[in-house]
Amino acid sequence: MAEGMLKQFIDRRNFLNWFLGSTAGAFVLSVLYPLSRYLTPPPVAESTARSVTLSLKPKEVKANSGQIFRFGSQPGILVNTPAGELKAFSAACTHLACIVQYRSDLSEIWCACHNGHFDLNGKNIAGPPPKPLEEYAVNVSGDQIVVSKKV
Amino acid sequence: MIRAISRGFLWLGIAVILFLPVPAIGQQQVENCVACHQSLPDERLAGPAKLFSGDIHAVKGFGCVSCHGGDASDTEMSAMNPAKGYVGKPTGTKIVDVCGRCHSDARFMRQYNPSLRVDQVTEYYASVHGRRLKEQKDSKVATCANCHKAHSIKPPGDPRSSVHPLHVADTCGSCHANAEYMAPYKIPTDQLANYKKSVHWRMMANKGDLSAPTCNDCHGNHGAAPPGISWVGNVCGQCHAVNGELFSKSRHSQVFVQMGIPGCATCHDNHQILETSDELIGSREKAICTRCHTAEDRGGKSAAAMRAMIDSLRQEYDKAHSILLKAGHAGMEVSQPEFDLNEAKTALVKARAAIHAFSVVTLKKEIDPGLQVSAKAYAGGLKALEELGFRRKWLAVSAIIILALIVGLVLKIRQMESAQKSSEKEEV
Repeated sequence: MAEGMLKQFIDRRNFLNWFLGSTAGAFVLSVLYPLSRYLTPPPVAESTARSVTLSLKPKEVKANSGQIFRFGSQPGILVNTPAGELKAFSAACTHLACIVQYRSDLSEIWCACHNGHFDLNGKNIAGPPPKPLEEYAVNVSGDQIVVSKKV
Repeated sequence: MIRAISRGFLWLGIAVILFLPVPAIGQQQVENCVACHQSLPDERLAGPAKLFSGDIHAVKGFGCVSCHGGDASDTEMSAMNPAKGYVGKPTGTKIVDVCGRCHSDARFMRQYNPSLRVDQVTEYYASVHGRRLKEQKDSKVATCANCHKAHSIKPPGDPRSSVHPLHVADTCGSCHANAEYMAPYKIPTDQLANYKKSVHWRMMANKGDLSAPTCNDCHGNHGAAPPGISWVGNVCGQCHAVNGELFSKSRHSQVFVQMGIPGCATCHDNHQILETSDELIGSREKAICTRCHTAEDRGGKSAAAMRAMIDSLRQEYDKAHSILLKAGHAGMEVSQPEFDLNEAKTALVKARAAIHAFSVVTLKKEIDPGLQVSAKAYAGGLKALEELGFRRKWLAVSAIIILALIVGLVLKIRQMESAQKSSEKEEV
């Protein structure tokens, strides 16, 4: 009788040890894994965000004007054309990556560094820029302007 | 008598060229010339006939007789009767006359390409080629058919065309890089080799930028001539507008003209225009300024000061960029200072252009804002790294605490087990 109770007790203790050991191991792993992930540098430092909600409201952007905004770490330019259409492009000039600006007197996007001109479709039309500005999609939802990279 | 007859034929030939009927649009001409010529054993006579089917003129419905005269419907040798307008192979000014008959006629050309210029002949006779042909009867100079490859002419936008931007240099070089052919003119023949070392050619050939300049962009195409000393700046300024404007207002602009040396090319060369670097400015070894200035004269001191300013902005930009990169790779959010740093990069590019004003004051206006932005971005990066250090330090502390807790729990459990065993033994 006493031997049977002792055997049962030993089995229960083994099970408890096994259970505690497993849970402790899982706990250590759950601590070490995020720790190692945190200490390992990510392969890409740049934000991979594909869209941004601007702090501007549609009514705040006058026709025939432009506004620089932050798209991750890169500059973008929001343009309200003379016809009242909102358009957005990368604001990094395709020549030497200077930040472009909107010229309301020309109704063009212009780079002051080397006098590069882009039309309101982002196409390089004069000066040294070799290719058009990347165009982003603009969606207006109520009072919000959402700019997204085109797929 | 014979001379009079010959002269008569000569005038008849000229009259025929000038008054050959201009073909109507879309009119497909009966073409027996090709049928005979392409099977002739003499390649000089067969080659053009074989090539012509791919020529833009053939595509538009023009036949051999449009330029050579004669009767294309006649299958006999009588097709080439001067009485039928046959002029044979035009040479010299006659080539220009033949091409100009259509290409100088705005109303006619409008049918094919309304935007095509019709002043090529006027331009050609203003070129060195045209002037030598007309005034000195120099038969070696290029005419229309040399550059546009008679019988296989393609529009300039066609990549197979001899005047497509990618092929212009080789087309010009077919004469200008031929030392033997060019010997009588006593001009250099290394332009093509030098151009192919230039940043312009690299941009065009390697990066596919067809807007990069080739021979005709600086020398003109039909009016080809070397730019004059005083207007080299205007030529380069067509593309490098900001640099050109700054230079034209600078002290150097006038001094260079007085010295009889060209703007732009004096520092950047003409055909072998290499990629620029900050080393070109200043008073050190590779600086171009040292060609005229000593380190001690006023210009030399200004050049050294400008170099120091550019170096300082570049170093500050690099320092900020480097720390932000490090913070970004460590997982810190630094997109705002990275965004701000774009302003410093813009300032650096503008400062490099502002060098062409050769004024310390003008340069300082571009440099100072760039330095401020770089310093702010660097501070942002430094703060991010400090934050990273803080997080790592406290992560280590919390990890030690958690591990200590685990060890404590294990020991406690063992202690409890041990106590239980002892009590069991006592019971037994």
